[in-house]
Amino acid sequence: MIRNLFGWLNQPMGRIAVLIAALSLFSLAAFGIFYTQQSPEQPIEFTHQLHVNLGVQCLYCHPGALRGPSPGLPTLTKCWGCHQQIAKTDTSPKLAVLKDFVLKNKEIAWVPVSQVPDFVHFTHRPHIAAGLNCERCHGDMSKVEIAQNPQVMNMGWCLNCHRERAANDPEKLTKLTDCGTCHY
Amino acid sequence: MATELGMPGTNQVEEGPVGVWGMVIDQDLCTGCQACVAACSMENNVAVVGEEDAGYGRYMHWIRIERLWESTEYPKVKMTPFQPMLCQHCHNAPCEPVCPVYASVHSLSQDLNLQVYNRCVGTRYCGNNCPYQVRSFNWLDYQDERIHPELVTLHNHMNPDVTVRRRGVMEKCTFCIQRIHKAEDKAKSEGREIEDGEFTTACAAACPANAITFGRLDDPESEINQRAEANQSRAYHALEEIRTMPRITYLKGGV
Amino acid sequence: MSEKISRRDFLKLASVGAATTAVLTGCGPASRYVQREPYSKMPEYTYNGLSTYYATTCRECAAGCGIIVRTMQGRALKVEENPNHPVNRGKTCARGQVALEGLYNPNRVRGPIQHTRGEALYNAEFENAEPNLTWDEAIQVVADALVSPERTAFLMGTASDHLFDLVSDLAADTGAPAPIRFSAGSLFDGQATLSRVAEDLFGQPALPFFDIGNSDLVLSFGANFLETWLSPVAYNRAYAQMRRGNPDRRGYFIQFEPRMSQTAAKADEWVPIQPGTEGQVALVIGRLVAEAKGGDMPLAFANVDLEAITSELGIDREILENIAQHVVDAESPIAIPGGAVLGQSNGLQTAQAVMALNALSNNFGKAGGVLLSPLAPNQDAYHRPASAQEMADLIRRMNSGDVTKLLIHGVNPIFELPKSLGFAEALANVGTVISFATFADETAVAADYVFPDRHGLESWGYQQVATGTSQSALSGSQPVVTGVYQRDSSEILYNARSTADILISAAKLAGETAAQALPYNDEVEYIQSKLTNLVGQADGSFTAPEINSFSAHFQQNGGWWRNTADLEAPAAVDVLGSDLQVQAAEFAGEGEFFFLPFVSPTLGEAGANKPWLQELADPTTTVMWNTWVEINPETAHELEIEDDDVIRIVSEAGTVEASVYKYPGIRPDTIAMPFGQGHTAYGIYAQGRGVNPADLIGEHFNEAGDLVFAGMKVNIEKTGKKRELARMEGKLGVYGFIEEK
Repeated sequence: MIRNLFGWLNQPMGRIAVLIAALSLFSLAAFGIFYTQQSPEQPIEFTHQLHVNLGVQCLYCHPGALRGPSPGLPTLTKCWGCHQQIAKTDTSPKLAVLKDFVLKNKEIAWVPVSQVPDFVHFTHRPHIAAGLNCERCHGDMSKVEIAQNPQVMNMGWCLNCHRERAANDPEKLTKLTDCGTCHY
Repeated sequence: MATELGMPGTNQVEEGPVGVWGMVIDQDLCTGCQACVAACSMENNVAVVGEEDAGYGRYMHWIRIERLWESTEYPKVKMTPFQPMLCQHCHNAPCEPVCPVYASVHSLSQDLNLQVYNRCVGTRYCGNNCPYQVRSFNWLDYQDERIHPELVTLHNHMNPDVTVRRRGVMEKCTFCIQRIHKAEDKAKSEGREIEDGEFTTACAAACPANAITFGRLDDPESEINQRAEANQSRAYHALEEIRTMPRITYLKGGV
Repeated sequence: MSEKISRRDFLKLASVGAATTAVLTGCGPASRYVQREPYSKMPEYTYNGLSTYYATTCRECAAGCGIIVRTMQGRALKVEENPNHPVNRGKTCARGQVALEGLYNPNRVRGPIQHTRGEALYNAEFENAEPNLTWDEAIQVVADALVSPERTAFLMGTASDHLFDLVSDLAADTGAPAPIRFSAGSLFDGQATLSRVAEDLFGQPALPFFDIGNSDLVLSFGANFLETWLSPVAYNRAYAQMRRGNPDRRGYFIQFEPRMSQTAAKADEWVPIQPGTEGQVALVIGRLVAEAKGGDMPLAFANVDLEAITSELGIDREILENIAQHVVDAESPIAIPGGAVLGQSNGLQTAQAVMALNALSNNFGKAGGVLLSPLAPNQDAYHRPASAQEMADLIRRMNSGDVTKLLIHGVNPIFELPKSLGFAEALANVGTVISFATFADETAVAADYVFPDRHGLESWGYQQVATGTSQSALSGSQPVVTGVYQRDSSEILYNARSTADILISAAKLAGETAAQALPYNDEVEYIQSKLTNLVGQADGSFTAPEINSFSAHFQQNGGWWRNTADLEAPAAVDVLGSDLQVQAAEFAGEGEFFFLPFVSPTLGEAGANKPWLQELADPTTTVMWNTWVEINPETAHELEIEDDDVIRIVSEAGTVEASVYKYPGIRPDTIAMPFGQGHTAYGIYAQGRGVNPADLIGEHFNEAGDLVFAGMKVNIEKTGKKRELARMEGKLGVYGFIEEK
């Protein structure tokens, strides 16, 4: 079969066919990679840039980061607390979506962006307690419109920082590079 | 004794590392009620396999109650004392060196025998090697809602702190490592050490007869060390003679 | 392919494929496939990822253990233990642990249903019946049932709780018959006999409290106190205390039982006496003890003919003499009658004989002895569950048209009562049957209306602890979740409503008398009205100045109980001075074997619908998911029966078929079968699995009205079929390969 294939490749039409196939495969792959690296669409086009530049702290909407595994996503009441007093809520078409949710008391189905697989048990509290800024992992949100990750959050990236932070402390290094610390 | 092990019948005493987490299980108190089995399964999202697969030996129990028969001659019938059997977290674990992908590793920070689900490729060599037969394999997608739609409502009670395993992956008792981490995190956030008895494994928490105790082996004042000391004449390790150096001390029942 | 691929070419092709796969997988944020819906209004004390804990009461059996349920974001995750609760002191049993599989069961009733009797409430595709009434319509139906309620009967579960108090109040004020409490648990426990012997001896129909924990010698006559009898968690703890609680002594335990139950397996001595002879054995031991102690022979044992009894019963006299010596030497011996021993025709007499042993050891009212369980804090008088005879009376009234409306809650009589009592047939003579079942069980299937009650973990309430602790205790319940919701939506999945709330609303529509009987806005107001007397009482687990703060503490602590032991030291009738007679037990049926049904230690009476309980291995046989019949291996050999053979068991009342388990710990003339399986409804995990040994039990009662559930003789027939049992110990069972003998 292989001999037949190579024989076929020696013909011009065969080579063009292979070229077209390779090009389509490549463009498919490129598109795939491009598409999957985009930030997902959110139910409301919430812009972090606007809110952070207005002075809203990360922990105001995501208070759980200080206390436990999950920082949490803001509830409707958190958004409405300010927005019911802002005049723009009635005029802006983007905020009309929020108003609709609040009036119907329907939860906003946010699509989480900074996700790790379910076999990783990440907890925010020790990271905040170690003195890390939110920007360190999530990027400078004062420059980001729709939420997105500044880099891929894979295990290598986590381990780099773990190794760096524990370089001088063998006990800490053991703990931070132990499989069971995150995978259980 | 929880801290020293010797070969029975010889004068050799091998001082192994003391280790961190351990258990003492008193077989005189264990009544075989299966509360520990139920508690473990609910805490760790252990799958139910159904009658047919359970009959084939594919049940997923992380802890089981073993009983054998000392004598079956009626009327002098004698059952051996009930023995809860779970991963012994051996210091010399036979399951660790055989994993080709390092999924079954010894945690140096927690001194536990770990099972890293995302590395496991399902060779089942570790399960084969375990002399206590405490490792269970996910032969099928027992928890997949596409195959078992009746599980959708039941899955509401799943513990988010424990990974749900898919098929092809080995699993076993972790000494409730999720509870260990939670307690350590809490203690750290409060700037203190964990106290003995502050938390415990699901099985030890449920046992109505207080047969299972969990704690630190390196703390001489911990309850497990006190129990082992007070009952030295009854203490033994399961399958001591093969020198796996397990972390669980059993106390003989019936005497 | 007509030509072979060379190894090199294969590797080339394979690596290209692998590389492509590696590039395309794991590429993108997983976020694309997940949505999260945070609360719209988050409770103030909640942080994402951190759990909230609620104290409540486990309702899986009638013991009333206190639990703390871990919840996160509106879902109950784990049943944990309330360390302060006097019944279980921070421990739970297997059924309590798996309670969440009841809350989140796939086959609960989805809402109020007007139903055709006999129609299934779920199908093979796991779809549950659609509700076809609104709650207002349902309340109207109940209101109609409460108008002129002289012919309305209320049938409820064993536990004495706030709903029972509410219905009692309603019935008392409106002239309806008083509600009846019953379940298979109370039947197999022999609770009617126990209460009766307490009443005869101590003047109170209470359940006796056997203080095993402080005893150093336990003689149990059939009481399976480590399994499901009365209050399993409390007795398991007491057992542990008896064994190792005192560093100077290890308690000694002897079990008299025809089969080696899980409890008997923990005994130092298992004495397999013939069913029904336990009372005579107790008298013999009493006689031997009295002789060894010297002094006057009490009248109770005076007429015991040692030779006749021991030879008749075929027991080695030496064994009994040794046991008697243990009793004499012990500091605080105790004797306990229970379970199948009480389910005999001579059950009451046997209980009296065993109590006489206690009297002989002078342990009434003492630590390590027999005491009376205290009344719950807001209880005025002891009230016991109905005996089987009282259930038979109800059935008679149903058949004669005296019951036109039947309201059933918390019990599944079609399954739990033996068929021979004819409950299912009697339903045909009742005009309206309303079931408040949470699960789609057999009785709900036979009802005209199903108005599902909220699951115990979704409910408010209290439970009066009947036994298991020396402290007078009221165990509190609160909802740990607001309900069970659909996946991917905020629609509720199980639209249940508290039965107490339904009755309160219905009473308002059922006329002046009913409305005045229950003048409350809702269930919580009723519960508070029953707690007000406790406000300001000293010597309790907490105090509070007024009812609202009392309620808050009540919920936070999981109940209210007295700090000190409140056990009655019973002033006993002189049982030793009476001439005790234990007649020979009568057995129904002409068969060859004694038949012993026992409640499955893993399933309990109502656990078959929870998959993890089904998958638990039975402690003595390690069988999962099925019913088996235990047969002595010698008997099996004689009959040429092997493991997994299906045999037919025939009693005077019915027939069942089950797989054989050759079990060493059972008398050669006895066979035994666990109760708990054999459902014809009750959910996909329960239906069509195993058989119900209650089908074999005939309608016979002992002197206390308890059902003689262990007084049958049956025959065995081979069917030629085989059905494998799922055993954890391995397919070969105890005896391995079939040997040619």
